[in-house]
Amino acid sequence: MSSYPKTMPPTRPEVATGDGRERPGWAQLATSPDHKVIARILISAAFGSAFLAAVTLVLVRLQLAVPENTFLSAVQFDRLLSVYGATAIFLFALPLCIGLLYYVTPLQIGSRGTALPRLGQTGMWLFILGGFLLYSTFLFTPPEAGINPLPPLSQHAFTPNNGVDAWIASTGLVTLGLLLLAIDLLVTVRNLRAPGMAWRRAPIFVWTAAIVTWLMVIIAPIFLAAITMLMIDRQLDGGFFTGGVGGSPLLWQHLSYIFFTGAYMTVAVTMLGGISEIVQTFTRRELPGRRAVIGSLVAIAVIGTLAWTQNMITAPIPSGWKYYAMLMSISLIVPFGLIFYNLISTVSNSDFHMRAPLRFAMGALSLASIGLAVEVSQSTIALGSQLQQTYDAWAATHFTLVGFGLFGGFAAISYWYPKVTGRMLDEDRARISFWIMFAGSLIAFVPLFGAGVEGQVTDSYRFFADENVGGFNLVATIGTLVLFVGIILALGNLIKSRTGGDVATPDPWRGQSLEWLALSPPEPHNFDVLPDVRSTQPMRDIRESLLRREAGQETPAGDTQPVA
Amino acid sequence: MASSASPALALSLNPEAASPGIEKVNTFHWIIFVVIVIAIVAVNVAIFRAARPRHRHIDADGTAGGRQMRVGIGLGAVALALFVTATVFSSQAREVPVGDSGVVGLNADDQLEITVTGQQWLWRYEYPNGAFTYHRLVVPAGTTVALDLVSADVVHGWNVPSLTGKAQAVPGKTNRIYFRADEQGVFSGRASVLSGQGYDSMEAEVEVVPAAEYEQFIRQVRIDTQAAQDAVVRTQERELEAAAAETPQGEVEPQP
Repeated sequence: MSSYPKTMPPTRPEVATGDGRERPGWAQLATSPDHKVIARILISAAFGSAFLAAVTLVLVRLQLAVPENTFLSAVQFDRLLSVYGATAIFLFALPLCIGLLYYVTPLQIGSRGTALPRLGQTGMWLFILGGFLLYSTFLFTPPEAGINPLPPLSQHAFTPNNGVDAWIASTGLVTLGLLLLAIDLLVTVRNLRAPGMAWRRAPIFVWTAAIVTWLMVIIAPIFLAAITMLMIDRQLDGGFFTGGVGGSPLLWQHLSYIFFTGAYMTVAVTMLGGISEIVQTFTRRELPGRRAVIGSLVAIAVIGTLAWTQNMITAPIPSGWKYYAMLMSISLIVPFGLIFYNLISTVSNSDFHMRAPLRFAMGALSLASIGLAVEVSQSTIALGSQLQQTYDAWAATHFTLVGFGLFGGFAAISYWYPKVTGRMLDEDRARISFWIMFAGSLIAFVPLFGAGVEGQVTDSYRFFADENVGGFNLVATIGTLVLFVGIILALGNLIKSRTGGDVATPDPWRGQSLEWLALSPPEPHNFDVLPDVRSTQPMRDIRESLLRREAGQETPAGDTQPVA
Repeated sequence: MASSASPALALSLNPEAASPGIEKVNTFHWIIFVVIVIAIVAVNVAIFRAARPRHRHIDADGTAGGRQMRVGIGLGAVALALFVTATVFSSQAREVPVGDSGVVGLNADDQLEITVTGQQWLWRYEYPNGAFTYHRLVVPAGTTVALDLVSADVVHGWNVPSLTGKAQAVPGKTNRIYFRADEQGVFSGRASVLSGQGYDSMEAEVEVVPAAEYEQFIRQVRIDTQAAQDAVVRTQERELEAAAAETPQGEVEPQP
């Protein structure tokens, strides 16, 4: 600081930091409080985790390709399964949702950044640290107590090695990081909306951000409390989850399932919000039931999370809890149905160019419809007590999360790809990778419904020839390999188009929300001029205003001002 | 696991349902299966029709608030009907039928109470007369059996799909489930909650036999167990005597 060059004053003193010298690129990337830089790291890490999740899933499926396979041992299988679950939920689905919201919504609300950028930056780095911690366990002992490590199996007496401790630390860092990002985003969308953007004019994705961040603020501390208790149980001889000494193993099930169910709803709500934006842009019309869709997203987040005991139908809890969860889950038909109805009828009622975002969005709805229908059936006590903990439940969960998380994620990233990178995604490669992924998902997960109905239980490292599920498993493994190839192609397209794609204009899709006003990629301060929002479609207002100005008409007072 | 119909035709849950509750579950599964297939096919046909590339006649009036309302009410009615059906079938599947087989050792409600203890990686069954077995449970046909599931170590998943639903054995809690097997035979299922490295080999077998055979079986088990215990006690006593006979010499000799 002593050698501040007086001859070269910063042009904008309020944003300049340091001594004015250029720092290396990686240092700028690592320390930038810009929400776009933070979100790009988050989204890149999430898609990297998608690759890792695909690899672990392929290994798990290869072990289950034939009866009594010896490709993996029981311990190796348990470890890969545990890492797969943590990767898919904590390192892929949740950070992808938060990352997309964190990139897009400050632009959509016409803000120059987030409200608490250092909080968000800390959160992003905590997430990265948690991800590295999880994979560094392959150097010593990976966690081996399952996707949801139920105590007492996850307690010190039964898993004395440090794998579960690493799972706790890793998921704890990730959850804390996502919580900080969610707090930042929540404060941002509540306080930094452009002049005139009342909630009734906010884009659906901004509503989604508000819903999802509130949900994270509620469920993430519950999970952090649960893993803290588990850590105390493991390391300090606590008894939170020990039966008979005042604790109960069921406490963990309640707390963890509140979080996991909430995380599931986070993915569903975020991606339905993103798909709504895509459908509105590509069909050139506002969703006819905008208010119904927003209300349904709220209902999914609230009712869906309140139905956490649907995962505990086989647990020794009073049957009132189970009927309550059944009621909550079945009533989810209404909000999900309204959103699906809105999206599908809007698309079928309009003329559009089928591009990668809309294709992936439709694929997401298609796959998720299968998963959601089966999930509802399994929330009933009679069927749930038969089909839960079988591959039927596994397939349903995967249909929903692959549909919303993977296909919804690729829909959203291909929609905002020009904005993020300044390049267009290669359309042909996107189409090919979509169809391979779509076919792979169906081949990988539909046969598992059959295996589940036959009674094959999940989490077991092998099955036996007399279970009559060999054919289902073999086809599912082949489908998983196809899905893997599709994911590789889609990820490769994301990487290759960054340099090889056509240069994108600021508004390649003719979108209606404010992120398309910024340059592609946006300047660090997002907007030179803050627009004045008068409707739910500010970009349409700006275009009309420009047309009027070109036609020589006087701009009516109070109209949205164009940006020169 | 007992063999079943060809996998391609495995639409019916548990083709060899052997208890009234599971038969109800089968019926319900058929209803739900049809409903789900119709729902999924309808939604996906709508999606693919919507996404098909073509020039279409565009409806001028896209904002049909009344249609939203009708769809919402329709879905609400479907959800309500589904919930009522599910409640009826769920409570029927969980009903507690009373048997009349005259088995000795039933409680006041005419239920045969058996304590099932999950432990890594075995099931242990305790019968009312104090006899116990591992791995295979023997129950009389036509009698309501109340299983009290407990666990000695971690959470285990009780799973014999032809007779009962799944139920967790959680340490510190008792999870009571009921079933009545009307058909004789051996029914099995693999444990359904990850319980450690031997999880894949943890299996429960339930053998349903006539009441008289059941009585004979647990009496014989009790006699055998008693005999084995007596044998152990006798062996220990002999060893103690032998040790007592040797010890004085051993201890005495070193003494001056």
